[in-house]
Amino acid sequence: MRREVRALLHILLGAAVLHISLFSELYLRYVRRGLRPYLIASGVLLVAVGLVGAVSAARQLLRPGHDEPDAHDGPDAHDGPDAHDGSEGHQGHGHDHHGAPRTAWLLLLPVLAIYLLQPRALGAFTAQRSDSTAVRPAEAAGGFAPLPATDPVGMRLADFDSRALWDSTGSLKGHRIRLTGFATPGPGDGTWDLARLTISCCAADASSSKVVIHGADAPPEGTWVEVTGEWQPGGPSGQDGAVPALTASQVRRIGEPENPYE
Amino acid sequence: MADEMAVEARPHPVAEPEPEPEPGPKPEPEPRPTNHAPYPIGSLGVLVAGMLAVLVGRHVLGDRTGPAWLEAWGAVFVAVCVQALPFLLLGVVLSAAIAGFVPARLLERALPRNPLLAVPIAGAAGVVLPGCECASVPVAGRLIARGVAPAAALAFLLSSPAVNPVVLVATAVAFPGRPELVAARFLASLATAVVMGLLWSRFGRPEWLRPRTPSNGPTGWPAFRASLEHDVLHAGGFLVIGGMTAATLNVAVPRGLLKSLAGLPGVDVLVLAVLAVLLAVCSEADAFVAAGLTSFSTTAKLAFMVVGPMVDAKLIALQAGTFGRAFAWRFSSTTFVVAVTAATLTGWWLL
Repeated sequence: MRREVRALLHILLGAAVLHISLFSELYLRYVRRGLRPYLIASGVLLVAVGLVGAVSAARQLLRPGHDEPDAHDGPDAHDGPDAHDGSEGHQGHGHDHHGAPRTAWLLLLPVLAIYLLQPRALGAFTAQRSDSTAVRPAEAAGGFAPLPATDPVGMRLADFDSRALWDSTGSLKGHRIRLTGFATPGPGDGTWDLARLTISCCAADASSSKVVIHGADAPPEGTWVEVTGEWQPGGPSGQDGAVPALTASQVRRIGEPENPYE
Repeated sequence: MADEMAVEARPHPVAEPEPEPEPGPKPEPEPRPTNHAPYPIGSLGVLVAGMLAVLVGRHVLGDRTGPAWLEAWGAVFVAVCVQALPFLLLGVVLSAAIAGFVPARLLERALPRNPLLAVPIAGAAGVVLPGCECASVPVAGRLIARGVAPAAALAFLLSSPAVNPVVLVATAVAFPGRPELVAARFLASLATAVVMGLLWSRFGRPEWLRPRTPSNGPTGWPAFRASLEHDVLHAGGFLVIGGMTAATLNVAVPRGLLKSLAGLPGVDVLVLAVLAVLLAVCSEADAFVAAGLTSFSTTAKLAFMVVGPMVDAKLIALQAGTFGRAFAWRFSSTTFVVAVTAATLTGWWLL
């Protein structure tokens, strides 16, 4: 792999990282908010390494006789064999000292994925295939804090699930609750769940929270909605994988939130 | 393909000051014996053409999106790569700094000759690298290239992603009110690292590690810059392989299947250990994932957190790129067995 190609690879990768972290909020589809400064630093570092490499490659190109590998016996002579990316003699331990293996080309894949595929955040596809997880909060021992007096009470879906499943005092009773998530087909015919994914580091560790919605027709799969309604107690509480239910009084379509994860 | 690469101190870094043109007044107008394509075409040309194609392609695609599984696969793939990149770069920068500024003799002297002493010290030294597993692979590769005994460097490789303060604090946050779980994670991880280091010093063969050129190359900024560029491309390519593997498994393995296995006593430890390998969750986040696996026993969660930072789909790819495939599969499979055993014993003792 030639020196200028290596430099370009660094720049492309760095630019792709900066594209999603510095110039847009797209990174929120993939990783948690706290990683942003590190992503920006990584992008800047990659672009800087690439630019330094490009400058020195350009300086070398501008010199007469640059593409004559045997013309000088300095360290740059090793760029000669690098030009033959696929040459057989280049395999094995005789691996050059500053070329890069062909696996380095794989670095183009994330770049292509970011620019061309631009995958949306995980959504209904993932939620439908995973069980709802309601983490038993530590404060369950001392009881949940009382809900705010607003009406309706806006809550995270994960918090709603925790209270519905683990709160023995039933603090959700008598409140109108407002939840934000996306529509996911339920296990039964015509049933649907409101779901939201939580990530702790990146989308690979996403876990889902779901609420069965009664009293409203199912929106198309993946539609972001804001559901207002009342908790419908029932079913065994404190059971793993159980999905609490909400009787909806209002379902309003909304756009995808800036941060699709909770 | 993997055999082509090695992390090594390169005797001829790119950054070497360019040699003077040949002395002599004449500018060498003689035709040269070219046997390769004239310069402008070639990989660079392909790359530039590809970039233009992407720009056009993006325009053509517009707002269209792929099928749901492809979107999910892409999201996890980009997430794993993007999330790991800062940590990989941290490791690469550290590795480059070792290559450029730490004399090889200093590293050789820093650890005792006796592996019985050197391995535990190196394992405990993992506390100082505040990163996840992606950072430790290039650093360990560089340590070996600079003359540190492989047994000690491998103990460091295994322990640092699991016992550093960032990870331990994350574990404490994920399991509030369970300090014994943090202690168990620390002990089981350190024990696995030390056992693996000692196993290597007893049974390991140097030829399993990819041969390296002796590190007598230049030092200072040229070596720093050269090894930085070198490591980014080497480790980066394998990170992408790991990301693709993790994304495929993440999308393809149904979580419900795991749940049905959770009830079987004894099996649940193995199930979560395998899950840790498949999911390739960053060690700074795996405690939160483990906390969410509520239907599994605490020992099984411990096994998830001990195995994950040492053996996972992304890590095996990174190790294959850095140390060679012959090493990676032997080392990873042995580490898996040792880690599961250590987690089971520690869980039985502490939890």
